[in-house]
Amino acid sequence: MSRRSNDVRRAAFTVEEVVDLTINFYRRNYIEGLFLSSGIFKNADYTMERLVRVARMLRREHNFNGYIHLKAIPGASPELLHEAGLLADRLSVNIEIPSEPSLQKVAPEKNYPDIIKPMNYLAEEKAQYQDAKPKIRKTPLFLPAGQSTQLIVGASPENDLQILHLADNLYQKQKLRRVYYSGYIPIATDNRVPQVKAPPLVRENRVYQADWLMRFYGFSVGEIVTPQNPDLDLEVDPKLSYALRNPQQFPVDINRDDYERILRVPGIGVKSAQKIVSSRQHQRLRLDHLQAIGVVVKRARYFIKCPGIATSPGEQQPSVIRARILALDTPRTSPQMSLFG
Amino acid sequence: MTIYVYDGSFEGLLSTIFQIFTDKVLPINIIDERHCQFGLLDEIRRVDADETRVERVLYGLNQCSDGRAALLVYKMFLSELPRFEMAILCFIKTVMASHENILGNYANPHIAEALRIEKMIGREVHRMHAFVRFQKSVEGIFQAAINPDFNVLPLIGSHFEKRYADQPWLILDTLRHYALYYDLKTTRFLESDDPLLAISPARHDGQWQDEKEDLYQQLWVSYFHAVNIQERRNPKLHLRHMPRRYWRYLIEKC
Repeated sequence: MSRRSNDVRRAAFTVEEVVDLTINFYRRNYIEGLFLSSGIFKNADYTMERLVRVARMLRREHNFNGYIHLKAIPGASPELLHEAGLLADRLSVNIEIPSEPSLQKVAPEKNYPDIIKPMNYLAEEKAQYQDAKPKIRKTPLFLPAGQSTQLIVGASPENDLQILHLADNLYQKQKLRRVYYSGYIPIATDNRVPQVKAPPLVRENRVYQADWLMRFYGFSVGEIVTPQNPDLDLEVDPKLSYALRNPQQFPVDINRDDYERILRVPGIGVKSAQKIVSSRQHQRLRLDHLQAIGVVVKRARYFIKCPGIATSPGEQQPSVIRARILALDTPRTSPQMSLFG
Repeated sequence: MTIYVYDGSFEGLLSTIFQIFTDKVLPINIIDERHCQFGLLDEIRRVDADETRVERVLYGLNQCSDGRAALLVYKMFLSELPRFEMAILCFIKTVMASHENILGNYANPHIAEALRIEKMIGREVHRMHAFVRFQKSVEGIFQAAINPDFNVLPLIGSHFEKRYADQPWLILDTLRHYALYYDLKTTRFLESDDPLLAISPARHDGQWQDEKEDLYQQLWVSYFHAVNIQERRNPKLHLRHMPRRYWRYLIEKC
């Protein structure tokens, strides 16, 4: 947990050092841009001012047009946040602990209102600039890459239902562009947080998959986690899990059904769904076409109707489908997975 | 058993394809005259590049599609894959024969093949945007060497032109022996005998480098290793994003 009482060595750069390193790394194409964070020096405004000064020097004196992501320090003045919004591509305030009571326990000097306040302020400012855009041609860009935050998974007792509802709220109300989830890695021995050895990477991966379903696949949070199933299934991904819980929604007819329904089939991603909808205007699609398009047929076949698929009656049972798909996945030697695995 | 032979240029290939349309034959192969071998029974037809024919092919392609087909053909040409000439011929025939915009039909094998090649090229372009590592020379030119799988140098210039508009830069393809050079005004190709290439990142004695170059390289290498989180080490994923064949010119990996 990032906390000021942690006994770890800290280092500080001067503003000029950060600027010089950034511009020289950028000119050599080592980096895309700058992600700048800071512990609190003296107070919030002093710290925020130093972050803003880095961005200002890069933009004004070095004509730096690369990406800048700054931390918005809770408690910093609106003037500083506003200037940061005009200079940076993205600002983020990290929530870290996904519920107020747990946050109080781990970091008593932090609280939710302090974190949400700058988010709301920045969301309103961005909305105003966006409203002005069609009327005033030279409206400056304000946070073109929006806001983001980070939630730590596994450091406190919140279940996936609570975490995903919080994320959904942040997307809806604070208009966040991204919520990042980070499996908890202990850095200091402390009896207020649990002792775990390996970070919960599989759970982190499942939460990201659920987040993707909310943002790109048209799923509502209530379809992914329910009070009966408050935690994501670690064995299968949340999209497959949804399909197994809702067999009445399937099979989906590849040649007839809407894009939205095709997108819900396990094994069909956004790109494949778009290709299917585009190609079927030209011709009727068969199973071998789906294979060529990039559909993961070994998963999708249980949930679709299309020429070339022969299903025996016994195969329709969710428990049978689940067992078959699990048997197909080669045993993983590493607990880590890719983001889209 | 007709084999068509062209001069190895994009223009030459398109002129040849125009000729094939005129002749109304299906050749067994189209090959680059610089590395051609023939069988005894093959009938050889050599076609010269012709500017008006090239323009007619490109115009026709875009008329029959949403305007993407001509660029797609150019990318297929740059792929240098085995028998890419025949893939281009099949693709052009398919596009010309269709009345609607057939590029949206991923179920057509020739379109799918073209889009598959385009995707491979796109990935390589994306990698080169990320894997170019410039080194500053005493003259203040930022120079880099690359050895991409496909001939993507013609496709990456505009990205670097926009990003580094205020610094002169040079990217050398060490496999194909030519370079792209931006002098603050225009971007142009340099052939391997160009005097500007005499001083290049291919030389390792360090004499050509800016005095601070070595310092920034060291800082970058130590930063690269310091930001790694041990608990999250995932070598398999790392290799997928940064395959070993690209490490040669990556300062942080070699």
